[in-house]
Amino acid sequence: MATLGFYFNSNRCTGCKACQVACKDKWDLKPGVTWRRVVEYSGGNWVANTDGTYTQNVFAYYVSVACNHCENPLCLQVCPANAITKRDDGIVVINQDLCIGCRYCEWNCPYGAPQFDEEQGVMTKCNMCYDAVDAGESPSCVAACPQRALYFGDLDELRAEHGDLAGVAPLPEPDITQPALVITPHRNSAPVGSNAGMLANPEEI
Amino acid sequence: MSETQLFDDLVTSTVMSRRSFMKWSAALGGVAAVMAAGEMGTQVVEAQREDVPPVPDSIVWSACHVNCGSRCPLRLYVKDGTVFRVEGDNVGDDTFGMHQLRACVRGHSIRQRIYDPERLKYPMRRVGPRGSGEFERITWDEAYDAIVTSLNGVIERYGNEAIYINYATGALGGTVAKSWPPGSSPIARLMNCIGGYLNHYGTYSTAQIAAAMPYTYGGNSNNSIEDIANTKLVVYFGHNPAETRMSGGGMTYSLQQFRNQSGARMIVIDPRYSDTAVNSADEWIAIHPGTDAALVSALAYVMITENLHDVEFLNTYTLGFDRDHMPEGYEDQDSYQDYILGTGADATAKTPEWAAPITGIPAQRITQLAREIALAKPAFIAQGWGPQRQANGEQSARAIAMLAILTGNVGLQGGSTGARDSSYRISMTAFPTLENPITTSISVFMWPDAIMRGPEMTATRDGVRGKDQLEVPIKFIWNYAGNCLINQHSDCNGTARILEDENLCEMIVVIENHMTSSAKFADILLPDVTNYEQEDMSPQGDSSNMGYAIFCSQAIEPLFECRTVYQMCTDLAARLGVEEQFTEGRTQTEWLQWCIEETRVNNPDFPDYDTFKAMGVYRVSNPGLPSVAFKTFRDDPVANPLRTPSGLIEIFSPRLHDFSQTWELPEGDVISGLPIYAPTWEGVSDPLRATYPLQMIGHHYKSRTHSSYGNVPWMKEAAPQEVWMNSIDAEARGIAHGDLVEVYNERGRIRLPAKVTPRIIPGVVSVPQGAWYTPDSAGVDVGGNVNTLTKYQPSPLAKGNPQHTNLVEIEKA
Amino acid sequence: MELHEWALVIFTTVMQMAVGAFVLVGGIHLFAARRYTVETADKLSDRALIAIGPVVVLALLATFFHLGNPLNAPRAISNFGASWLSREIVLALVFTIGGAVFAFMQWRKIATPVVRNTIALVVAAVGLVLVYGMAAVYLIPIVPAWNTIVTPISFYITTFLLGALAIGAAYVVAYWRMRGNEKAEKETQFEIVAVTLRWIALLSIALLGLQFVLLPVYLASLTANTSPAAAESVRILFDQNGVLFVLRLLFIFLGAGVFSVFVYRTAATSGATIRILGSLVLGAFALVFVAEVIGRYLFYVSMVRVGI
Repeated sequence: MATLGFYFNSNRCTGCKACQVACKDKWDLKPGVTWRRVVEYSGGNWVANTDGTYTQNVFAYYVSVACNHCENPLCLQVCPANAITKRDDGIVVINQDLCIGCRYCEWNCPYGAPQFDEEQGVMTKCNMCYDAVDAGESPSCVAACPQRALYFGDLDELRAEHGDLAGVAPLPEPDITQPALVITPHRNSAPVGSNAGMLANPEEI
Repeated sequence: MSETQLFDDLVTSTVMSRRSFMKWSAALGGVAAVMAAGEMGTQVVEAQREDVPPVPDSIVWSACHVNCGSRCPLRLYVKDGTVFRVEGDNVGDDTFGMHQLRACVRGHSIRQRIYDPERLKYPMRRVGPRGSGEFERITWDEAYDAIVTSLNGVIERYGNEAIYINYATGALGGTVAKSWPPGSSPIARLMNCIGGYLNHYGTYSTAQIAAAMPYTYGGNSNNSIEDIANTKLVVYFGHNPAETRMSGGGMTYSLQQFRNQSGARMIVIDPRYSDTAVNSADEWIAIHPGTDAALVSALAYVMITENLHDVEFLNTYTLGFDRDHMPEGYEDQDSYQDYILGTGADATAKTPEWAAPITGIPAQRITQLAREIALAKPAFIAQGWGPQRQANGEQSARAIAMLAILTGNVGLQGGSTGARDSSYRISMTAFPTLENPITTSISVFMWPDAIMRGPEMTATRDGVRGKDQLEVPIKFIWNYAGNCLINQHSDCNGTARILEDENLCEMIVVIENHMTSSAKFADILLPDVTNYEQEDMSPQGDSSNMGYAIFCSQAIEPLFECRTVYQMCTDLAARLGVEEQFTEGRTQTEWLQWCIEETRVNNPDFPDYDTFKAMGVYRVSNPGLPSVAFKTFRDDPVANPLRTPSGLIEIFSPRLHDFSQTWELPEGDVISGLPIYAPTWEGVSDPLRATYPLQMIGHHYKSRTHSSYGNVPWMKEAAPQEVWMNSIDAEARGIAHGDLVEVYNERGRIRLPAKVTPRIIPGVVSVPQGAWYTPDSAGVDVGGNVNTLTKYQPSPLAKGNPQHTNLVEIEKA
Repeated sequence: MELHEWALVIFTTVMQMAVGAFVLVGGIHLFAARRYTVETADKLSDRALIAIGPVVVLALLATFFHLGNPLNAPRAISNFGASWLSREIVLALVFTIGGAVFAFMQWRKIATPVVRNTIALVVAAVGLVLVYGMAAVYLIPIVPAWNTIVTPISFYITTFLLGALAIGAAYVVAYWRMRGNEKAEKETQFEIVAVTLRWIALLSIALLGLQFVLLPVYLASLTANTSPAAAESVRILFDQNGVLFVLRLLFIFLGAGVFSVFVYRTAATSGATIRILGSLVLGAFALVFVAEVIGRYLFYVSMVRVGI
């Protein structure tokens, strides 16, 4: 069975967050639990000239991130309750019936994918809208993207078509978890580990 | 069975499973929900769910009806009479040109607007002082009686000119339930049945450009954004579709697609590194707000001195470029060339070095930019509505047009006029609102003056149209689905003081869904249904190469005691004795059918009512080439003159020059025959910067359409209210990213977190507009509304709102 | 910091203290039994041993506050094969139950001393592995502040430092509470206490030295790490919690250093009274305990993940 993954074209993304809210609406997520988030990465300097003007090299771009249904899902490995499983199609799901709410998966995920539902006391996470995928439809975030920056599909095909870049700053080294993610970088993109810019919207993710 | 499984099963069986726990808690929750429903009459949204969302009873087509300029269909998932989920357009294979009209971030949160716990539930009458937000519940009959009594009294004492329908855009996507333009709303139709009301002209969005551009072109249009497919260079002045036209059916997506086709380089000129710049700009040129005309003047200087301008075009199509082409009777005035080269009255050459400190752009960059624009032909030069929403916005709007004119791009495929880019559309017949017997009109922005000193307002001082002078003050205000009564008007604190005086305006009727800042100023507050609780249809929004229309079926029954605006007006019409005239015997649905049939007279391809209702979205791809503004004029200027007095592009406008001689303007305000740079109050060079050193603008925000969606939790979470400031300015004030700060000037003080970012030019801060005005007991607006700080001073020509012209200071809260 | 993380501060600190105390009680007991008699050795160590029990149970109970869904708590050991968290919990349970069984046998003198000693050895070994298991839980590759050899070393330092001082405190209290008819033996017991405390003081000073060597190494490596996560951890430790950081160093220096020196000296003087000695030991224990809790708090708040 083909492994599914997300494809994200950073050049097309305006940071609008339609993906984030479409997801929240479908899964009825409370404030504080946000399965898909949009990270702003920005940087550059302003240098004052003598005539009151400035010269600058400012850049910014957005990265939309959910669970990447990693090939090496650390969340799954470290879960003491065996509550996380990987389906044959690669989708990593949490079974809340089994979850003890220790939040250890949260510590181990470099993408911030597993998130704690305070009300139910269990972890929750993007499940790639497996209900839609099983019915031959797109995940809500993909269907919602106004800029057509977000797709999903057979990971091998996505890599064949778009290359195998799986990380840009401020995402972590893909080696850590081997995410099922293919990225077309923004024209201003900084590589993973770069300190050229900073994660500019920590309060929003 | 593996050992692990065995163990799992063992463990699971020993503890209460989540499923049974949830069933148990759902039972309790159900009891609570029923109790709550009994108490408040609410309909409870399913809060708990099993693993996947339920199967809907039906999926209903509707649309998001707020004022963003886009228009997105929504598919509402309904179960047991409740909307439990919403998805966007999913029809077809998304081929560009017949693409899906995917909703923006806001549309996806529509459930939190429909089921907002603060939804207005029944008619209310003010009991506290006006603006206190203290109301008592009354019946519909009591509300209608109060309105009719007041209307009759005001008409008797002052006449219909004392009735005003305030600018309101909260429900502009509908056909019947439509608040904008106010003259096309059911309220206007009702008022027209009983003698009319005081009109207004202009909009809070476009007052200056809409007023000014026709003096140059006889119109205010530009090529379709589609034409970017045919251009070599895109130059956007203060134009930010990624945050103002966010629909996946429209402009931002189109911009991306058409640039892919042409490979055109793109430059964005903006004080902010906007999301449009992030998404599309090859280069961002950061500029001080209100200085666009200075930049253009310097660009013109380079073009003229380096002979890069299109002299043949200028000689053939324009008036006032040089001394040889001045209009008759104005030969002694400066020509544009005089102004630029310094051979005119001000004897100042508009060199890049002159413009650099004004605009903040290095002189060398200005020179390069001039060459780049002049040498790329065709070039697509367009402006958003930010540059014009300034104290000198009329001048900036016309100045930016000069770039298209100097380079001879007007009327060319792939060229431009410098106005805002347009979009292909199909037209639909609107709900008819009859004739207004009152022809007097004021500027959209000046109603507070009309309340305070109506009869003192004149044509040449206050821009009164249709009469030399207003006869009566405004005594009755209809405010249907709008927040310009306070929130979106300038100087909220000052506006509040005017509204609070019950001796001035006698009656304010607000028709709303939510307890907005404006609703708090109502005397009578009527609860409106949302557009999901009624049947309506949406004419299209901006979408570039595709025309469309949306049928909005009724998804759910009206919540609480809410009624449709058509119902309210019908009920009032009956009490005023004009029901037959108002309804013409038609229900809302019958009016929709009437509009569709009228539309089909001109456009037989438009689907009939039943077909339209079944299909949800009707769409047509633009069958022709991208539209080119003033193309026939370019092809043959003699046969197809512009709608200017000369028939030409009036670089020098004799009419504007005449106004500058005859109108009474406040000291410092400029109307000019030429599109010159005019420094303004609270502009980049105002000495007041010694006290308030930061220029402040207010960009459109992804979490709101103006103030609509400002109360939605998912939106507040996605994009919290925050003031953008450059790290240089932040550091100087000891402010770190995320710190709570206060932004203030003489008009007010707001409190909100700081976004410390390189994405804004130093010396300038931006407060996303539309946050809900929320003064605390000390008068600090903790909602962080930019208009608590903006100034109520109409612009010179349009008498429009200069909402991006402000000086402020910031300190740590 | 939220309640559920405070639960971890309490659990890890107290559990490590218990392991250290158990191991050291065993050591002291063997020493005392060889030098005097088993009965003499039992007098104090039995009491100290029994004091450990409730503390451990409290620590375990604290972990429940860490869980969002305590009803499923028994599932926490499901992934023993792969998850250090499961292993930690299993080891903690084995240590606790084993310790309880041993304590009960010791108290009732069930089976021979050899059997009991063997059980104690096994439980002590489990405890020592448990401390590693606790550290391994935090050896998360994406948390630079944690993913270092310093984490297990400092957990072992906590184990022995806090364990030792806890035992010292427990012996002093146990000695105080001896009944009248034990008076005859009191001299011998005091000798045991004094010798024990001297060793404890020496151990404390040594561990303190180790900590002060380790700290700059740790901070240097964290500062050298180029990831924004490491930088943020440094910022949290110094900019945000600088006062606590200094307080912690001060407390541990006073407790494990200054007080221990006095304990060592006082215990060696012939005129030493249990009152002075006891106050010094209890003071040292209190200071170090507070320092360790602050230290563990800082450990948790310094957690910043690589990535987003």
